[in-house]
Amino acid sequence: MWLPFLGLLLGLAFGLLTDIQIPVVYESYLSIAVLAALDTIFGGIRANLQQVYDDKVFLTGFFFNIALAAGLAFLGVHLGVDLYLAAIFAFGVRLFQNIAVIRRILITKWEERHIKKGENTV
Amino acid sequence: MKKPHYNSKFTRKQFIVLIVCISTGFIIGYSYKLTKDEVKVNTSYLEQEESYREELISQQERNKELTEELTALQTKRREYEKNFAENEEDYGHLLEEAENLRLLLGEIPAHGEGIRVTLKDGEYNPNSTNPNEYIVHESHVFSVINELKVSGAEAISINGQRLKSNSYIRCNGPVITIDGNQYPAPFIIEAVGDVDTLIPALKLVGGVFDQLLNDRIVVTIEESDFIQMPTINDE
Repeated sequence: MWLPFLGLLLGLAFGLLTDIQIPVVYESYLSIAVLAALDTIFGGIRANLQQVYDDKVFLTGFFFNIALAAGLAFLGVHLGVDLYLAAIFAFGVRLFQNIAVIRRILITKWEERHIKKGENTV
Repeated sequence: MKKPHYNSKFTRKQFIVLIVCISTGFIIGYSYKLTKDEVKVNTSYLEQEESYREELISQQERNKELTEELTALQTKRREYEKNFAENEEDYGHLLEEAENLRLLLGEIPAHGEGIRVTLKDGEYNPNSTNPNEYIVHESHVFSVINELKVSGAEAISINGQRLKSNSYIRCNGPVITIDGNQYPAPFIIEAVGDVDTLIPALKLVGGVFDQLLNDRIVVTIEESDFIQMPTINDE
């Protein structure tokens, strides 16, 4: 349970401490990558809670989503069409859906536990 | 058998989760840092731009003020120059006038071309009993001097004595008293001035020259290229 948080903190520290400078043009890709990564993480959590979690799907989804979003943004920049909006929209909607599902699952679990507790006490 | 399998599966899952989490954390941290830097750069850039703009505006205002000041000063200077030019002209006139007046007053030595008029008593005439008829009177000297003055003589002297504006000439028997100094005949009247004006003025028909001749006075008029006259103070 502590491992993901440890990894997140490690990554955060690593990212904050890195001193690599990238061209300003590619900074827009980074925001999409953030969104894709968050989407994948929450998707993973949801899958885990729904007991449909799969390593391959999770890993490939993570990198493939990031790559796809970056590729879409790249294409959009070169075509003069804001295609990265599509990626942001898709990821945003999925992020909210995933979070909503996670919330419902957690609420259900909590209620179940509450009821169990009540039955136990009574 | 079951435990290692479970272990390896758990480790694999953990490993993947760790990798993904590290990647996500890295991306988030990195983008956060980049954005922070950018914001910092942007704000500093904006502040700089703002300060530059303010400086520019203040400079422009200063420029405007200075331009107005310059225009005002130029106008002032032009007025001064105009005044000065007028004054200079006036001053030149005044200087010339002052010089002329000084010449007339005899305060400065006069020199230049002029004429010399010599008045001598006439030849003794035995037929005449009155010597007044052929000696030079102060009236003759007066008429010559007046004629010379009228004709524009700058300076006049009699027997070397410069005439002032308030000189007096008196007939005192056979001599003439000028400002207290007595001079006998012949009288040499020197005048500095335009020769071409002075001589015709004296030789007008019925003029001074004729009158003097009529009074049987020996008059000689000679023109001189250079006559030097002392000031009235050089006595």
